[in-house]
Amino acid sequence: MAAAAKKTMTLNLTDVEMDALEDLCQKKDLSKTAVLRQALRLYQAVEIRTERGAKLFFEDEQTKEKAELMML
Amino acid sequence: MSIDVSKVFLFDNSAKNLVEAELLDAIVEKQLLDWEDQWIPARDEVNRRLKAAGVDRSKWPQTGHWSWRDKQLGIKGSLSNPSFCVVHADETQGLMILDTLPSARLSSQAGKPIVYIDYLEVAPWNRKHLPGDVPRYGAVGSILMRAAIELSLQEGFKGRVGLHSLPQSNDWYANKCGMTDLGPDPAKQNLRYFEMTPEIAQAFINRGS
Repeated sequence: MAAAAKKTMTLNLTDVEMDALEDLCQKKDLSKTAVLRQALRLYQAVEIRTERGAKLFFEDEQTKEKAELMML
Repeated sequence: MSIDVSKVFLFDNSAKNLVEAELLDAIVEKQLLDWEDQWIPARDEVNRRLKAAGVDRSKWPQTGHWSWRDKQLGIKGSLSNPSFCVVHADETQGLMILDTLPSARLSSQAGKPIVYIDYLEVAPWNRKHLPGDVPRYGAVGSILMRAAIELSLQEGFKGRVGLHSLPQSNDWYANKCGMTDLGPDPAKQNLRYFEMTPEIAQAFINRGS
């Protein structure tokens, strides 16, 4: 199975943003590119669902309290 | 959209030899037409045979309610839902839809990304439904499982794969694929959840399945 052709881009991040990215790489056992690709997929998935009328909630496992995440 | 086509081999159970087939990294209209024109009539015929043989409905194929057209429509344009199919003799032999967003549940892998197999089905003629049935082609499911593992490797997920299994497939995922059974999941109609570690994924690939 061949990987699809890819295009290269340059990304400028602040130190804080880079720290956050490196932290996610560590936690998720992924490269920086892989984390950013996952972030894009997640953002798109949320966008598709919200466009269809769904809402995004976080639920506290203990209290079952729900908080809606407002998307831009 | 460009479609990647890889050469794979199926086992022809009547001729007792390998036949060349294609693995495509997409499900397109041709597959949906094959599903409507070939899979559905074949599935209906299987159900007629099972009914005539007095087989309890609980033992009939559990994918009977799946609509691949609806599933494909639901993931249209989604970056996180790649799909695959196996084609031989101009017929679709197997279909699979994946999700690249879920995380691993095994304690040793918890929180790390996996390729989750949302749906995997082989054509009705490639399954054994009654004693004496000879599936037309073997290895379709294994080829699709391997495609999921290869995608997981390509994405940097180290071969991690997860899925909820229909009861009729539990044995295949546990014993043929070597996946770890994490038990029934109340959030998914109590279907059993299975997961593959990087080591098991490598072993699956090394077996050449």
